Amino acid sequence: MKDEKVKVKRPLVRKLLLWIGLPLLLVYIIVILFTYFWSGDNALRQMKEYLFELTSHHASMLDGKFLKVSRASMGVADAIDEFSMPTKKELNALMKKKLSENRDIYGMATAFEPFAYNKMKLFSPYVYHSDNEILDVDLTLSYDYTLQDWFMIPKLLGTSYWGEPYFDESSAKILMATYSQPMYKNGKFIGVSTADISLDDLEREMNNIRIMAGHTFIITRTGTFIYHPIKEYMMNESIFSLAEEDDQPELREIGKKMIAGEQGITTFRDVTTGEKSWLVYSPIPDCDWSFAAVIPDKEIMKTVNSMVLKQIIIMVIGLFIILLAILWAAIGITNPIKRLLGFANRISKGDLDEKITGIRGHDEIHELVKAFNKMTYDLKHYISDLTAATKAKESVESELRIARQIQESLLPRIFPPFPDVEEFDLYARNIPAKEVAGDFFDFFMLDDDHIAIIIADVSGKGISAGLFMAVTRTLMKTVCVQGVPPADAMEKANIVLCQDNDACMFTTLFLAIYNIRTGHMHWTNAGHDEPIILSEDGSYRILKTFKDIALGINEFHKYHEGEAQLEIGDKMVLYTDGVLEATSPEQELYGEKRFLKILSENADKTLVEMLDVITEDLDGFQKDNQFDDITILLLKREK
Amino acid sequence: MKIKKPIILFFCIILLCTHALLSQSEKSISLMVQWFPQAQFAGYIVAHEKGFYNEAGVDVTILFSDGTDSPLQEVLDKRIEFCTGWLSQTIKLRSENKPILNICQLLQKSSLMLVAKKESGIETAQDFKNKIVSNWGGDFSIQPIAFFQKQNIQPEVIPQSFRIDGFLVGAIDVTSAMYYNEYHKILQAGIDEDELVSFFFTDYDLNFPEDGIYCREETLQNEPEMCKTFIDATIKGWEYAFQNKEETLDIVMKYCREYHMQTNRSHQRWMLNAIEIAMTYKVEDDPNNWGILQKDDYYTVAEELLHQKLINTIPLYKEFYKDVAHER
Repeated sequence: MKDEKVKVKRPLVRKLLLWIGLPLLLVYIIVILFTYFWSGDNALRQMKEYLFELTSHHASMLDGKFLKVSRASMGVADAIDEFSMPTKKELNALMKKKLSENRDIYGMATAFEPFAYNKMKLFSPYVYHSDNEILDVDLTLSYDYTLQDWFMIPKLLGTSYWGEPYFDESSAKILMATYSQPMYKNGKFIGVSTADISLDDLEREMNNIRIMAGHTFIITRTGTFIYHPIKEYMMNESIFSLAEEDDQPELREIGKKMIAGEQGITTFRDVTTGEKSWLVYSPIPDCDWSFAAVIPDKEIMKTVNSMVLKQIIIMVIGLFIILLAILWAAIGITNPIKRLLGFANRISKGDLDEKITGIRGHDEIHELVKAFNKMTYDLKHYISDLTAATKAKESVESELRIARQIQESLLPRIFPPFPDVEEFDLYARNIPAKEVAGDFFDFFMLDDDHIAIIIADVSGKGISAGLFMAVTRTLMKTVCVQGVPPADAMEKANIVLCQDNDACMFTTLFLAIYNIRTGHMHWTNAGHDEPIILSEDGSYRILKTFKDIALGINEFHKYHEGEAQLEIGDKMVLYTDGVLEATSPEQELYGEKRFLKILSENADKTLVEMLDVITEDLDGFQKDNQFDDITILLLKREK
Repeated sequence: MKIKKPIILFFCIILLCTHALLSQSEKSISLMVQWFPQAQFAGYIVAHEKGFYNEAGVDVTILFSDGTDSPLQEVLDKRIEFCTGWLSQTIKLRSENKPILNICQLLQKSSLMLVAKKESGIETAQDFKNKIVSNWGGDFSIQPIAFFQKQNIQPEVIPQSFRIDGFLVGAIDVTSAMYYNEYHKILQAGIDEDELVSFFFTDYDLNFPEDGIYCREETLQNEPEMCKTFIDATIKGWEYAFQNKEETLDIVMKYCREYHMQTNRSHQRWMLNAIEIAMTYKVEDDPNNWGILQKDDYYTVAEELLHQKLINTIPLYKEFYKDVAHER
């Protein structure tokens, strides 16, 4: 059978997506925003650390280079201090050796204080690279070196000194920086040992250093650029001159930190581009210079943003996957539920032969499917049991129906029963309860003058009561014969009913033999409600009888007999306990009082009218609440 | 109308002759300044570059000394007509009867000074004791010596190179500096003004006016008009330089680059401003007052020279100085 489409107002899939997907989406948006701002900071910090490291690395590399040059110069100074004064030849050889060992050294000099070397006024041999050979020259030929910074400053400071770079005018016309190491003999200053480094090489090296999309520069301890991608800056501008020219006092402060040998990272407005840029600086300790990298902020932000963007893209993909997973899970849950829904709809239409199959797993849904299948199975069996039980009940009910039909057929049904007889009128009505009860009435002429009138109520209900009633009725017809006193007839009937009465059934019964000519009657009462004699003017009296016990109880009981006289217009009302014991839905009893009142008020009406009024009143009183048979018989003396 | 060829030829000859005569009247002269191009000489450079000299009818060649040649000696040796020089130098020459004449005293205020770092513990000149002071030699040493004598101190003085590195690294405690040059170089090496202690000689009655324009007596005698034209155009050059500083700096920087000067624009701007201060000192901003050698300044310098026995007699002010700019 094909699943019919079930229209749901708020599908579970949508609900799950709303309940899980939407909060998740919100969380993700928060996380993404957080990532954008926080992770941006984080990435920036990482970036700063990276730049810091990188700059430090390059600065150390440069420092190593300078250190090697200064070591060479120290080597020469140490040699002069240790040994007796070397000859000019030895000195040249020593310096040439150092020069050949280190290509970074352009030239070396050993400049003596006046008269410190062999009583010579000035003595300063100088060796230097020239093309592929190492040449030597005497500096005293060119100038008085004792006034030169490279001589005077270490002498005054008493320590080694990397001089500010200068253009060497004397020989190579190249940008050089000179390291000077003061020399002492016996604690007395005797001159300086120097080593020159060519900054042309440095420039080439620096040109190869790339730090992101930025540029690098080196400043000396005076802030002067000795390397900058803008060649014009080299030796002309200092970081302080740029700060002044660009009116950027912050840059001057940065410059002061740089020349103080500090390490740092900061932002500033790049003078060359006018853009906000990052400046990362690190000292070159050997020469007190500072190496720096300048990276445009937009470059850094570009990198940082792309890092953040990557994270966000991963997150968005993650979110998408999670939403798909929710959808998948939701469909996984709702599909079986949809099938169950269709299944349940079919069950409600009575289709119990189906079974849900093909739902895998060991989850609650699977358990539900199992429960559904079991429920269907149980329901099917229950329904078949119920059908059988109903069938059985129906068969019993049909039997009862037959019993009732029998019972009803036993009662006189034609009224008036004796249309030709003018002396009396007789009407009776039996309002049966749902079940077969044991009320019955009967009347039959014994001869032309006498009529036997019987009203009875068999104990119990159902078929047995019906059968007992049929037996009693037949018996009463047999025993009531003209001339036999009613008490005798009652005793005869009692004896028969008592025999083999294993079920212990009994019946109350009132029997009257009425002389239609005289209005006189003989009666006997076996435990039945006493009749009421109603006059035409509405007055009434209850016929006081000997209340003998009901028939079928004691076979030896002697029944009494009484007499009564009906005047013309008098009515005798016979009834069963169903009248007085009629119960309203509020559990009130109809009672004798109400019965007598309604009889009295309607005393002038015909018997049929009276019966209608009484029936109507009883119906109105007990509504659909009738438990017992109600039987009323009215006899009126007309003449 | 048809013009005949001989007539055209005639006019051409006339034109050529006129041009030749006019060209001849533009006198070619040379001016040598004491140092390489820098804003200290902005007025001359601007007058040359803006064509003020040519407009006035003098063709001036500006020569820049490299420190090895003496501009004054060049003038005395008749190789050039004009030069710039310090008053102290020229009074000495004059006292030696050299025919040198001051025809325009431009800088009124001495820019020479002594500078120390506060961190070296120097607050007053009395703190120079046991400190190393560096001085340039020659005329640059006259004011410091006078200063030390006046202050009654005898610090250890060592010769000073043209660089301030010794001072910057702390090898030298007190250095000589020109306010318009080295002083600013110290600032441009990352030392703030409030970290420095400055001793301006002008504050100690030692105002030695510096750059003035000099020529030989015979130059002024023979060609007074040319001299006046040259001086007027020079003053016009200075006036223009101070009024159009950025343009002036463009021109100066161009010269600096040509001469491979290790300098920068902001330094030259400082120098131009400092020169303006030195030039307008005492004589206000009015260019009409520029070029006057104040008599008291002259005698301040001369007397100090006499005191230091650098001269034996003080040359007469009137003989030494001719106010060409204001002559009628």
